[in-house]
Amino acid sequence: MDVADRRTLLKLTGGAGVLALSGCLSTTDDGDGSGDGGNGDDGSGDGSGDDGSGDGSSDDDNGDDSTDAYEIGMVDSLTGSLSAFGERNQRGVELALQRVNEVGIDGRDLELIVEDSESENQGGIAAAQKLVNQDGVPFLIGAVGSGVSLAIYESVVQDTDVVQLSQNSTGLNLTDFPGLLRMSPSGRTQSLALANLIDDDGYDEVAITYVNNDYGQSLTDAFVEAWDGEVAYNNPHDQEQQSYSGVISEMNGSGADAWLFVTYQAEFATMVNEVFSAGYEAQFYGADSVSGDNVLENTPEGSMDGMKIVVPSAPVEEENYQTFASEFEAEYGQQPTSWSAYAYDCVMNAALSIQAADEFTGAALQDTVRRVSGPEGEEATTFEAASQILSDGGGPDDVDYQGVSGPIDFDENGDPVGFLQILEVQDHDYEGIGFIEG
Amino acid sequence: MTVLGYLANGLVFSSIIVLGSIGLSLVYSIADFANFAHGDTMTIGAYSALVTFGAVGGLGGAVLGLPYGFFLALVVGIAVAAVVAVGTEKLIYEPLDIDSIGLLITSIGIAFIYRAVIQIRFGADFTRFDVEPLRPIEWLVPYGIRVTLHDVAIVASAAVLVIGLHVLLQYTDLGRKMRAMADNPDLARVSGIRTKRIKLWTWVIGAGLAGAGGVFLGLFNQLSPRMGFNLLLVIFAAVILGGIGSVYGAMAGGFLIGMINQLTPLLSRLGEVLPLVPDGFGIPIGIEYANAIAFVIMVAVLLVRPNGIAGEAAT
Repeated sequence: MDVADRRTLLKLTGGAGVLALSGCLSTTDDGDGSGDGGNGDDGSGDGSGDDGSGDGSSDDDNGDDSTDAYEIGMVDSLTGSLSAFGERNQRGVELALQRVNEVGIDGRDLELIVEDSESENQGGIAAAQKLVNQDGVPFLIGAVGSGVSLAIYESVVQDTDVVQLSQNSTGLNLTDFPGLLRMSPSGRTQSLALANLIDDDGYDEVAITYVNNDYGQSLTDAFVEAWDGEVAYNNPHDQEQQSYSGVISEMNGSGADAWLFVTYQAEFATMVNEVFSAGYEAQFYGADSVSGDNVLENTPEGSMDGMKIVVPSAPVEEENYQTFASEFEAEYGQQPTSWSAYAYDCVMNAALSIQAADEFTGAALQDTVRRVSGPEGEEATTFEAASQILSDGGGPDDVDYQGVSGPIDFDENGDPVGFLQILEVQDHDYEGIGFIEG
Repeated sequence: MTVLGYLANGLVFSSIIVLGSIGLSLVYSIADFANFAHGDTMTIGAYSALVTFGAVGGLGGAVLGLPYGFFLALVVGIAVAAVVAVGTEKLIYEPLDIDSIGLLITSIGIAFIYRAVIQIRFGADFTRFDVEPLRPIEWLVPYGIRVTLHDVAIVASAAVLVIGLHVLLQYTDLGRKMRAMADNPDLARVSGIRTKRIKLWTWVIGAGLAGAGGVFLGLFNQLSPRMGFNLLLVIFAAVILGGIGSVYGAMAGGFLIGMINQLTPLLSRLGEVLPLVPDGFGIPIGIEYANAIAFVIMVAVLLVRPNGIAGEAAT
């Protein structure tokens, strides 16, 4: 009996240990996935995460003199594979709420009800439904992953007046839904920028390899569409392969001197090492997801020098971004990412559209949300300045809020003016060599 | 790149697959279950070598572009992989009184545990051995062969290990006992062979070879917690192609699968390569399907020889 008991105990302990470990594993896996594949994931829009926040506002009975806070919602990836983005978003959001509520919107506060999407379509839809149907928010910020943003739009927002503004989705297909706004630029701007960049460098032939998923495919298709020269080689590769020597030897065999990589860091590092040990020479170009410190650390010194990469970026040289960055650092002890800046601007844009609107309804906000940050009107770089213009009797077209993430200026498809930075690898390090607006 | 170049690449890649598949086949033949933790055993070998190499450094001289310290790290990688595998056998597989399907499922769990432990310690990001990267060997480049001294080292070390195993199996007492046990465990036992001890030795050899494969995989490409697991499917294909349970079959299967994987680019321009085929002829298939092609060939071989290349004829 004794023995049996001990054995049972051991089994249970062992089982618990295994469970605990497997728990750790999946958590770590997910976290890492979103961390290092982060840019890529986001760009591809195959991850989906959003969090919804909304606080039910009891005061959306318009026109009354209520002093209750305005309540809007946000769907964010607080958990799940894109939780790293959710974390970044929340920092930007908190900072933005502080700035808005220091000034107030016509004497009232702004409140944000945040709901978790678990980085999944289903979770995102549930969160958005809660916010829109129960809390009755007229303005919904969400989501991170492009798939989640679209799912929310199609199943919750589409046939209502609710304004949806995605904070981090970069998937190309969101452009086809003009009612779905987003703060982060479409991946298409990256493809266009790359096509122009390679063309400006005087190449008329390019060899492309892309990661075999939605992200790689859509970015590459957009590139090929924008590219006037010849495409000498254009082939996908699978993720996590142990060797890409076939890919690089075919790229070399294509005869093109400009090689474009649309893939993730680990895959790209493998390719660089194989290019180096095979002794090939080419001018490299890359989409944002091939850049990273882990790539620099794991490739031979000098093996990528001269490579040019286009990354979505906040206008880091603008004064309002620098103010944002220093405030962010004072608050959180670290530099902001552009993902925080996008979330920050979402809240700012929402607050201004509420102030500019006659009433706190979706229909009214639909009308003002694009105009307060649109190109007409006086430029304002802070909420305080923009809010001042509005309280001085200005209409939505009299103010042009300039975000910390860029000029915003939503186009007819709901996409912002993209702000991209060109990085060049010099002495095995990334150096910014310019910005592209488009 | 010329045909020779692709063949050279294939040889390097095959060497790694062969090391992995021998161990898998060996363990299958004696412990009688498909060990899904085998890929992660390779990862353990690679990371042990990474730590050792980081600690001991280069130790002065170098052979084939690799510092002496790396070879020490290789030995440690082999040893740690073997110790971990034996420990797992003693602690988990042996006390578990279940059939081979149960063991198979258990080994999937073990694989998760190995990977989790590595990931907890080293993070999920990839890394590389701190070995000076090399350019291709210059006098081979005119022939279209672009391999580095490291690649030569991988092939040479794999050859030494494979020949060593051959000698062990054919000419030593242990090898004879192992073969006897693989043939018929019960008969081996009644003949006075201590089968438990032989089983342990099998684990040591199988996991040790996997560890070596892992170290070379890290040198060839990079180290990441999923490196071994990502290769496992290909290794299984090699083992099944060779005839599961047969060590020599695993060698042949590993060689073939590795070669096919690297020769895929040639398929689209078969005409230029093969003598009697018109120049424009080719099978238009992208290299992203390299693994799929390997599996198609595996299935084709199995249709002709249901027990694999080296498998015994079905009774």
